[in-house]
Amino acid sequence: MADPEALFAANQKRLFGYFCRAVGQPDVARDLTQEVFLRVTRTSIPAAPDGEVTAWLFRIARNLALDHHRRRVRQPEPSALVDEPTRSASQEINLAVNEALASLPALDRDVFLMREVAGLGYDAIAGACELTPDAVRSRIHRTRLQLRDRLAAPIATSRTMATGRAAHRYERIDR
Amino acid sequence: MSSNHDVISAFLDDQPFELDELADTLNDPAGRALLIDLIALRRIVQPTEAAPAMGAAGRPWRRPWQYAAAAAVLLVALGGGYLVGERRAVTTSSEAPPPTRVVEAVPFTPTGGLR
Repeated sequence: MADPEALFAANQKRLFGYFCRAVGQPDVARDLTQEVFLRVTRTSIPAAPDGEVTAWLFRIARNLALDHHRRRVRQPEPSALVDEPTRSASQEINLAVNEALASLPALDRDVFLMREVAGLGYDAIAGACELTPDAVRSRIHRTRLQLRDRLAAPIATSRTMATGRAAHRYERIDR
Repeated sequence: MSSNHDVISAFLDDQPFELDELADTLNDPAGRALLIDLIALRRIVQPTEAAPAMGAAGRPWRRPWQYAAAAAVLLVALGGGYLVGERRAVTTSSEAPPPTRVVEAVPFTPTGGLR
């Protein structure tokens, strides 16, 4: 896949998803997604199987996310939190997820997000993060267990909301 | 959490695993709870924002040569406009052009009479 447009079409959504959770700000995620493809158009895409090209693309993305975090440490931005009384349950969950992800070591967070949000396979994640597939497997499992503990309340809320939605669907079918 | 619950991650990630090991894990209530929680975790970490809309051509960015061509057109237009403006400024000026020949006026002195 040596065509930048085809590469963009195939990966734009998952790169944006990865950036959304890696930096926690949709506007910044949009800019970083664009930046990945600007960089792709300025260089030659490696002549390699799709999985390796995806790993190369996410290595660029990961470096951009890390640069963003370094800049934020030097120049902290004012927080734009929604007032507590106006937050919905889904906003609460969103905020808790971003906080939990921000508390993880960068490598664990990226490995986890590349799998759970971007949907990359272990080999592509290993290529993007310069790890072995076995290391990717163990990091993902360990990070899942950490996040399960940290996000116990949002997970429970999500399960309740999902149950509510399912019940609502069945009510509509019954009518 | 015991290590045999790794099989749940392998199951969730489409990785090879032993069916018997998964069956044993799911016989354990803690294993079942973990599977449900990890599915819920996967759901809540999905971003709530939609991916940015792409342009009509399916790409939100322009190639570098397009920027270069736009800059060249702009430069030509600006340079041409400057030259045309400068020429017009010369021809339509209200000041008299500088003299190309100066004729000195001398008093008339008659040299001869009528014949």
